Amino acid sequence: MGAIVKKEIIANLLSYKFFVVIGLTTLLLAISLFVMSRDFKDRLADFQLNQPKTGEAVAVIPPNPLSIFAKGLDEAMTRSFEINKTGIYVQTGRQSGNVIFSFFPSPDFVYIVKIVLSLVALLFGFDQISREREQGTLKLMLANPLSRASVLAGKWLGNYLSLVIPFLLVTLLGIAVLGMDPAIRLPVEGIGRLALLIATSCIYIALFLSLGLFISAFTRRSATSLVVLLFIWSLLVFILPNLGTLFARQCVELPSVRALREKEQQILTREILLSYSDKTSVDAHIRTAVDEYGRLEEDYHHKFDDLVRLSKAVNRISPAASFVFAATEIAGTGIGEESSLKKDILRYKSRIQEDIRSGTAIHAAFAYRYRSVGRVLAEGGLFDLAWLFLFTIGFIAAGYAAILRYDVR
Amino acid sequence: MLSAVVKKEIRGHVLSFRFVVTFALLLVIVPVTVLILTNDYVRKQDDYSRRQAEIENYLGRYAHFNRLWNVVNPSQPPIPFYAVVRGLSAEVNMEMFDNDPLPVMFPLIDLTFIVTILLSLTGLIYSYDAVSGEKEDGTLKLMLANDISRSKIIIGKILGGVTTLLIPFAVAMVVGLFIILLNPRVGWKGADWGALGLILLAAVIYISLFVCMGILISSRHQSSSSSIFTSLVVWVLLVLVIPNISSYIASFVRPTPSPIKVSREIFRFTQDERDVLGRKLEKEKRAEVLKAYPVLNSVAGMSEAEIQAAIKNDPAFGRAFAILDREIEAAWQEANAIQGAKAKVLQDDLERKQRAQIGLSTVLSMLSPLADFTYLATDLSNTGIRSRNHFEMLREAWDRLFEEYSEKRMEVLKKNNPAMDVWNTAVDVSDMPRFKYREELLAVRLEGVLPDFAVLIVSGLAVFSAAYVSFIRYDPR
Repeated sequence: MGAIVKKEIIANLLSYKFFVVIGLTTLLLAISLFVMSRDFKDRLADFQLNQPKTGEAVAVIPPNPLSIFAKGLDEAMTRSFEINKTGIYVQTGRQSGNVIFSFFPSPDFVYIVKIVLSLVALLFGFDQISREREQGTLKLMLANPLSRASVLAGKWLGNYLSLVIPFLLVTLLGIAVLGMDPAIRLPVEGIGRLALLIATSCIYIALFLSLGLFISAFTRRSATSLVVLLFIWSLLVFILPNLGTLFARQCVELPSVRALREKEQQILTREILLSYSDKTSVDAHIRTAVDEYGRLEEDYHHKFDDLVRLSKAVNRISPAASFVFAATEIAGTGIGEESSLKKDILRYKSRIQEDIRSGTAIHAAFAYRYRSVGRVLAEGGLFDLAWLFLFTIGFIAAGYAAILRYDVR
Repeated sequence: MLSAVVKKEIRGHVLSFRFVVTFALLLVIVPVTVLILTNDYVRKQDDYSRRQAEIENYLGRYAHFNRLWNVVNPSQPPIPFYAVVRGLSAEVNMEMFDNDPLPVMFPLIDLTFIVTILLSLTGLIYSYDAVSGEKEDGTLKLMLANDISRSKIIIGKILGGVTTLLIPFAVAMVVGLFIILLNPRVGWKGADWGALGLILLAAVIYISLFVCMGILISSRHQSSSSSIFTSLVVWVLLVLVIPNISSYIASFVRPTPSPIKVSREIFRFTQDERDVLGRKLEKEKRAEVLKAYPVLNSVAGMSEAEIQAAIKNDPAFGRAFAILDREIEAAWQEANAIQGAKAKVLQDDLERKQRAQIGLSTVLSMLSPLADFTYLATDLSNTGIRSRNHFEMLREAWDRLFEEYSEKRMEVLKKNNPAMDVWNTAVDVSDMPRFKYREELLAVRLEGVLPDFAVLIVSGLAVFSAAYVSFIRYDPR
């Protein structure tokens, strides 16, 4: 088997495919890390510029350095939330001024892995069995005292290594370059998270390589397996997760954000008018309004949590969605982290409003602690990882079944 | 002779496995997408009419001018085109606390997505082996041995590839449009069909561009297995990378100041600093007036009632006091004007820089036909940047109308009852001008997207010429 692994690696190293594909990956990872780190530094500079003064009731957190790798919802999380007696006033960062940003997703590490590396892994796997049959070398190989299982294992390992080693080298090199930048300081815990993120990417790459090998062992011609794989790929990476989100939205009765906002304005207006007509203090009325609106908001949050749960469940049909969920949660820029931050901000808001009512002018500063890796894993992260792993094992098993029954003629 | 090549290409494709897969995939994806988007549009419509009803309900009971604007502030209604193209309408709303983060993670899928990503990939899959594959099979030599020119072969190949790709797309679109026609809640007007026709025309150009690209790459390679890799690399760069990095690059080249900082500065200029300046100017004016009218010297120590009494008893005091009042008012107006001008400089600077950045992002991203097609399709369908600006314009016009109305209305109220607090009393505003959304005319939209069309056509022609030249020089051995 060692011989097969070696043969595969050498064959790959010499091929045009390897040259093109690794060149592309390197180029994209380099561009991505450069662009996203610049973006992070700009946002960090903005944060330092906009830091609230002591005593101001503003909840704003610094950008997460891991957003260089997984941007996720970091843009939304690092908005500035100013608390006043009627509610939360939100101010957005620089990207909101350029509408083109909202047309296309951020080209971060997770995006590159999710789309480009999955494609690359398929390209490494698609012709492994079918091409050797076409060239007649499969017969020759199997004429040796060699089990079909070890052919598959050797091919898997050889290709995986020739794909993952350059990927890891480029990634680590990129991280090392980033590490030399004094503006980007990653805490020790962040390095652990980054390692976990890269390990998740490696599982994800293994998944697509296994899928490629499986389809290759399932089809007679390599051109066929390529077409099948490209369509499966576009289905898994693009269509299912995006359709799933829309589908989930139709199953949960959720008012639009705009409706919620308008309701808030209506309630506030009503109470202000009432305070004039019955000549009572405005504060008591505002309090009623805030409470009533708070109930609506809570109801909305419950429903929204349902929507997120359903979306996640539906989207997990596609391993690409599972990967995005796992990667962003590990980096601390995922949906779970965002909702945890929002809950903290709501708690902070009620405390500040308590302060305002009791006449305190100096407010405590807002501090947010990211959920620990353990909690992230417990709240779905581990499930996603296991799910990716299961997919990989499933494809390998299917590939094994297919190669055992493969007609080598 | 050309038609023979086209026929041969079409037959070859139609019998191929990839045709079957494309057909099946599009026949499922397009109708499912249209179905889900249509349902979503209907829900959006319900939500919108519910919201409008809530607003009317409120207006009947609690309308008062102090906060009327906050409640009737118009929003864009859903448009029937949402059943096919989504554009910027996804609720990635960052201005509100309860923004919806899901579309940030997974962009919605619509017709633009199907054309730009799926069909461009399919176009390359159809054409990557058009030349190199025939060379490998040995049929290219045989074909060229016939009495047929190379330019006819390549044009035939392109026509054949594009036609076969359009067949499954057209069938799937027909099924999708049936779903729209059958839904009574989605009323498409003539302009919508016209816009759809134009978008589909652009889609044909877009697909042809990628088929030509595939043939270009194919005739640069000797083996089809290497041409597929090059094709995929080019595809990834053009479709998945260039558009996404362009706004980032533009934000480095043409940075804008932080909007949070600007808005805080403006707040400081127009509130705190204005108060300081206003008080200072007021003090100066007061001193001036007091010097000119010594009769007012005692005014500082007097209470409101004493002043009223003095105005009544002493006409000279009354005149002087009116002048003082006017001067103080003028002092505050001056302070407002000075600080407002400072704020305006900042705001204008921010807006100018944002416009410059958006311009650069657009130009950079248009290196990719995907971005080009996306802008074209969203602008034509009223879901893009144009429609956003158009809505803003309508809203500003409505704002002016509303202001006029409220001023007039408050004057009338004041006349009827001078003691009334016109700002904070419930009023009947059933005659208030309502916001009406009108889509931009199709002709105007078309004029706006002409540059996009031009870029798409020119890049298509460029790729075609490159493919042509490469094929003419191809070595079929």
